[in-house]
Amino acid sequence: MVRGSTMAASVRRNPNKIKQGSVAVDIVLYALALFICLITLYPFYLVVIMSISSPTEVAAMNVFWYPKGFFLDSYKLIVSDTKMWWAYSNTLIYVAAGTLLNCLTAVLGAYPLTVRTLKGRKWLVAFLLIPMYFGGGLIPSYLLVNKLGLYNTMFAVIIPGMVSIWNIILVRTFFTTIPDGLKESAFIDGASHLQLLFRVILPISKPILAVIAIYSVVGIWNSWFDALVYLPNEKLHPLQMYLYRVVVQQSVDLKMLSLEDTKNAVANMLSNIQLKYAIIVFTTLPVIFTYPFFQKYFIKGALLGSLKE
Amino acid sequence: MSFRWRDNMQLYLIMLPVLVHIFIFSYIPMYGVIIAFQNYYPGKPFFSLHDTDWVGFRHFIDFFNGPYFGRLMRNTFLLSFYFLVFGFWVPILFALLLNELKSGIFKKYVQTASYLPHFISNVVVAGMVLSFINTDGIVNAIVKLFGGTPVALNTEPGYFPAIYTITSIWKSFGWSSILYLAAMSSVDPHLYEAAKMDGANRFKQMLHITLPSIRPTIFILLIFAIGNLLSANSEFILLIYNPMVYETADVIGTYLYRDGLLGGNFSSGTAVGLFISLLNFTLLYIANSLSRKYSDYALW
Repeated sequence: MVRGSTMAASVRRNPNKIKQGSVAVDIVLYALALFICLITLYPFYLVVIMSISSPTEVAAMNVFWYPKGFFLDSYKLIVSDTKMWWAYSNTLIYVAAGTLLNCLTAVLGAYPLTVRTLKGRKWLVAFLLIPMYFGGGLIPSYLLVNKLGLYNTMFAVIIPGMVSIWNIILVRTFFTTIPDGLKESAFIDGASHLQLLFRVILPISKPILAVIAIYSVVGIWNSWFDALVYLPNEKLHPLQMYLYRVVVQQSVDLKMLSLEDTKNAVANMLSNIQLKYAIIVFTTLPVIFTYPFFQKYFIKGALLGSLKE
Repeated sequence: MSFRWRDNMQLYLIMLPVLVHIFIFSYIPMYGVIIAFQNYYPGKPFFSLHDTDWVGFRHFIDFFNGPYFGRLMRNTFLLSFYFLVFGFWVPILFALLLNELKSGIFKKYVQTASYLPHFISNVVVAGMVLSFINTDGIVNAIVKLFGGTPVALNTEPGYFPAIYTITSIWKSFGWSSILYLAAMSSVDPHLYEAAKMDGANRFKQMLHITLPSIRPTIFILLIFAIGNLLSANSEFILLIYNPMVYETADVIGTYLYRDGLLGGNFSSGTAVGLFISLLNFTLLYIANSLSRKYSDYALW
């Protein structure tokens, strides 16, 4: 307190020496930032330390700051769970197919809109923009997917989401920044639009394609609602849907996993809740370890999207 | 055939797959909304205009007079409203704070850490929240630590809005700050130099230089947040609510999923969906008009 008031006094006496006075302020600001950072991360940290602490300590809720005891059997149990690996591989299929299709359709949809001689361009843009504000909603879409015979097949979560109008607009904005000279010289060489698109434009469009690909990967990796609506067959469920069944619906009894170990007293001590923590950690690790590297693409996308067209 | 015509043909062919997809998956469901005015049940001719019993606005009227209408509208509004009131300024303050830190590793770490919840799936966040608010979860352990008696956070309707709001803020504040940070980074450093010369301290610089630089961003985001006042995040609510807290947790989106889709009430469900999306569009339209009037930014 004393230091604070003398600091304020010195600022008043000599306004040009702000820098000296702001050390105390700096300390407060840095402490505040650190505090916010810790609040944000603590829930994840807690889940991690609970997943490796000894089950008795977890059951008694004694774990707050650091792991108590050391116990990895919940992870052993999870790794041996074939259902989880099945869901993991389904997710990989959904992510790969969805990302590829999203990039392809964004490029195919965006390019013609950037050609000035295209007739009816205004109508095409309107055709694309209207669905961004109006939609049929959940039930008509559900009935449509049923009618098309996609219900309860992997296509039900791949095909309806393979075109993103938002992505088309992002790519179009990027394409318009490409100098016309590049395109014209290609046309003089007799290239068709498709050749121009794939040989000249795509190679220099990697930055925007990276943004779209990353958005798709993370979006599909985290999505679960489509699977909830369209995929009653558990064999087709993505990882998030498996997690949903375990963690939210609690319809998968994790203790069943340890059937072979029933004689193992330790395995029986495992509280269901600790297994859930372990499974949360195990399925979230890929995101936690990779997001610091791909966040810059996300930021780019968010800033591009916020620009006025 | 003229060159122009062939050229256009080529371009339309390139776009064809996308156009067909959008027609099928966006426009057909839009047309499918007509079942809100029919008595549709599976097996009937698909989205047909003939051979159906038209019921006019009966599904809408039934919904308005039904037992849940008031509760659903109130919850849908209140949950977004709480998020707006308690959450809107958090990313602004956070961005202002970050802006005061010297750029370096520490600042980068704080920023990156604050983005983490944005990248974590709703299911994982829901799983964590549910286990924390359990009777023997961490929240109650802390309550006990301070000598309180454990409360049934997950089954007592009174707590749900707070749980939803806090979690939503935690999940979004870091990510939402990037638009503000971007606006701040475009401020001419000379302005700060000049202010220092004039004897402005850091707080005054923040008040008179940084804050005005993000004022348009704040304004636009606020208007569109108001435009979103009836779009509570039902996909997340679906994960963390349970029948015991429907009183404060059930929103239009979750009701639509439960009663319309799971309950097989396709026509009345579509009516409810149409009603709420019309309301939402009206709100967005008002927001957009306001934004166009008071700033030069507009969605259309």
